[in-house]
Amino acid sequence: MRIYEDLRLVQSRLAILQAVVVLLVAALVVQFWNLQVVRARHFRELAENNRSRLVTLAAPRGALVDRKGQLLVGNRPSFNVVLVPEHALNLDRVVARLASALGMGEAAIRERLARRQPYRPVVVKTDATLADIAVLEARRLELPEVSVEVVPLRSYPLASAAAHALGQVGEISERQLQLPEFKGLPRGALVGQAGIESRYNRELMGQDGYRRVIVNSRGLEVAESARQPPSDGPNLTLSIDASLQAAMEAAFEGRSGSAVALDPETGEILAMTSTPAYDPNRFTTGIEPHEWASLANDPETPLINRVIQGSYAPGSTFKVIAATAALEEGLITPHTSFYCPGQLSVYNTVFRCTPGGHGVVDLRRAIQVSCNVYFYQVGIRLEITRLAKWGKLMGLGGATGVDLPFEASGLMPSPEWKLRVLKTPWYAGETVSVAIGQGQVSATPIQMARVAAFIANGGRLLRPHFVKRPGTPLPAPVARPETIAAVKEGMRAVVAAGTGWRARLQSVEVCGKTGSAQVVASARLERTPRARGLLPHGWFIAFAPAEHPRIALAVLVEHGGSGGEAAAPVARRILSHFFGLERPEPPAAAAQGAATDTED
Amino acid sequence: MLGMGVGIDRRLIYNLDWVLLVTTLVLSLVGVATIYSATQAGQKPDLYLKQLLLVGIGLLGMALAAALDYRRLADRAVLLYVLSLIALVYVERFGPLIAGTRRWIVIAGVQLQPSELVKLAAAVFVAKLFSEVRQESIGLREIALPGAAVGLLALLIAREPDLGTAACLVPLVLVVAFLAGLRMRAVLGLAAALVLSAGLAWPMLKDYQRTRIYTFLDPSLDPRGAGYQKIQSQIAVGSGGFIGRGFLEGSQAQLGYLPARHTDFIFSVLAEEAGFVGVLLALSLYLLLLWRMLETARLARDRLGAFIVAGVSAAFAFQVVYNVGMVAGLVPVKGLPLPLMSYGGSSMVSSLVGIGLVLSVRMRRFAN
Repeated sequence: MRIYEDLRLVQSRLAILQAVVVLLVAALVVQFWNLQVVRARHFRELAENNRSRLVTLAAPRGALVDRKGQLLVGNRPSFNVVLVPEHALNLDRVVARLASALGMGEAAIRERLARRQPYRPVVVKTDATLADIAVLEARRLELPEVSVEVVPLRSYPLASAAAHALGQVGEISERQLQLPEFKGLPRGALVGQAGIESRYNRELMGQDGYRRVIVNSRGLEVAESARQPPSDGPNLTLSIDASLQAAMEAAFEGRSGSAVALDPETGEILAMTSTPAYDPNRFTTGIEPHEWASLANDPETPLINRVIQGSYAPGSTFKVIAATAALEEGLITPHTSFYCPGQLSVYNTVFRCTPGGHGVVDLRRAIQVSCNVYFYQVGIRLEITRLAKWGKLMGLGGATGVDLPFEASGLMPSPEWKLRVLKTPWYAGETVSVAIGQGQVSATPIQMARVAAFIANGGRLLRPHFVKRPGTPLPAPVARPETIAAVKEGMRAVVAAGTGWRARLQSVEVCGKTGSAQVVASARLERTPRARGLLPHGWFIAFAPAEHPRIALAVLVEHGGSGGEAAAPVARRILSHFFGLERPEPPAAAAQGAATDTED
Repeated sequence: MLGMGVGIDRRLIYNLDWVLLVTTLVLSLVGVATIYSATQAGQKPDLYLKQLLLVGIGLLGMALAAALDYRRLADRAVLLYVLSLIALVYVERFGPLIAGTRRWIVIAGVQLQPSELVKLAAAVFVAKLFSEVRQESIGLREIALPGAAVGLLALLIAREPDLGTAACLVPLVLVVAFLAGLRMRAVLGLAAALVLSAGLAWPMLKDYQRTRIYTFLDPSLDPRGAGYQKIQSQIAVGSGGFIGRGFLEGSQAQLGYLPARHTDFIFSVLAEEAGFVGVLLALSLYLLLLWRMLETARLARDRLGAFIVAGVSAAFAFQVVYNVGMVAGLVPVKGLPLPLMSYGGSSMVSSLVGIGLVLSVRMRRFAN
């Protein structure tokens, strides 16, 4: 081996290599500067998102209790299966595994994922069963991005009782998210969708809290970095009397219809029923589409709250309004009499009453036997303008302002209304029909309950309500005491020995008025007398006791026939429960000779 | 084991490169500390002790290599090459299948990775071949034989598969050829061909095509896994910030988001917990190490010594730059450990023995 080698080329090229190494390391330093100094905040955020998960601590909604403190709507703990899609290495695989573990369709899961917000947990399944939870726990390591949250779920222990009044909760809809009243709520929030749940949603909701937890790469929680406890929604006391509510529902014995009972002095709603009803518990976890379809397409319309959304011709119950109007306008006195031959021919039309007629009737008897001819005469004298004025004064043709959403206002027709909507002038003959509650006039049961309360409390039009709004003064009476007394006398006679005798109680004096809302012309009904669906709706409005009334109510039995036959017995069951007469004797039909079923 | 030329006299000790030695030791200990941090949350929190033991074994190997006269070693270059071939063929035929790869020989329960030591053998072999080429300048023809010989080793390693280690042999051959006088035209031509083929083709490929290329080159690599690793590593590095999140405080490392954090991605842990400051210090140490190694090549008394050092340095530099570049998200994820820091016995011993060879050359710069 030679001692001297020419190493100059090697050495000069080594210098080049040294320079290359310096350049390469410098390039690395630049990249680390870029990542760690220039973009550090961005990556710190990503690391934070990686390790921390926001767990919502759902605030339990306030409970709803009745006037005696009995629970009407509460909460029960339930399990939600949630997923943070951003934490999934392979979302498709996670979805497939979840679908098989929970027995759900992949499409259903994907639909929920499609509506996600970045890094917010998506609720894949609400109210998961213990079996679901067990399966997920067993596959914990396969599904680290999935977790289970305990959330309070709305529960309706009375099931379908008062369902329409209480309403139900459901996941907030896309449309609702845009509304100001739901501002700030996240997707998936449970909000009131009907009834009191909807009307008092904000009050009941409380404020959700959260836990920010640190999780490792397998999705296991290792620490909690922040916590904001939820503040529970406050409980709300309703004016409902749960026991009366149950009695009211039982009184219908499965028939379609509705009833509402008020405290005539305050307007507090003591009970409200619309049948058929539905079980709001079905809605709390997101109702199955087929179940929803069957409810929504049911011809018996179980989702409709008939008390505030059903508009019916008031029939003879309207005579209470006509009588009040005529007395107040000074067109009749309680002693004014008309002769009823069984029909009235006027304006080239024959208006019918009971075949054979009632003979000479005064106001009290006209109300008692529900004489049409008497009120035809009243209507002719009042004319439509004054009739409409009093209809409105007593609450028809406008919402009652009850604290429920989606109230219908019914219709109190007037010449102005007809010209505006139907583009035809008013005919005097129409007034004759309206005077007995037929024709264009329509009312909701809660409006008619308010009419009963109006007579009961001496002429004041109250706002029916479940929750007292502080600082609302009692409205002043709009009718004279003499007027009220005269109408009340008539209503007293209706139950004592008139069309409403089936509502009679032994120890409590009941005042009432029957009515029938015709569905088809009488002539057709005579041809097919028992065809259900063609029978008129039976009305009964009442208050009791006659002196110092404590309850006013309206009952409507759909296609029940006459109000005296169909609705008065229902009212009687409700009233007898209210007055503690649990097993009332059926009233003797022939107790008084004047007792009659005739009306309209 | 080769049984020759071992001997140390006072003059050799005098020429020991203390800077290189101390830098090596510091980097190894930083590695042990980082492994400690990377494994605390896992199931093997005592792994750093094993690494410490491996550093000890490696230092023995380094001392042995330093004591060895590299010229005597180079005399056995062909033998080393043949032994390498045998080891690699043995691994391919009889090596146990671990995680879809055959990289190891198991002797008495100890896993050895022959490819790590083959790198050193290749360095000696290539240095020997080129040192005997006595021409002012060489062309592509002269690098054909060493290239083919080392290419065979690289092919065997790539088939294990261990593409990262196989790739180390490429710069090893090229750097030594470059020092041996490869004509600038050939250098530029090779460089241009490499840059053109990679640089032009790469951006034109679609993501899934690139993924296919990864998986074609290295089937054991889960393509989704690779993407995940790159993202998580960048998050770890970036979230470290300027001063780092503190020892044992990096959320990416401690909560397990960072993959292979005590092996291939050890530098991510360092970057997350020690920040840009720590990265700068660590890269400075590596630069110092490489600078001293190339300095040793410059000071070598003969071409053989210079080439051995250059070959070892080239493989070492390639691994450092590639691994750190991978951690920073600059290059595709490949299984390639970071010399001196990543957990792993064969890699640690090979790195230290390689540095031992460098020390050996420097110690003998004045000796006959």
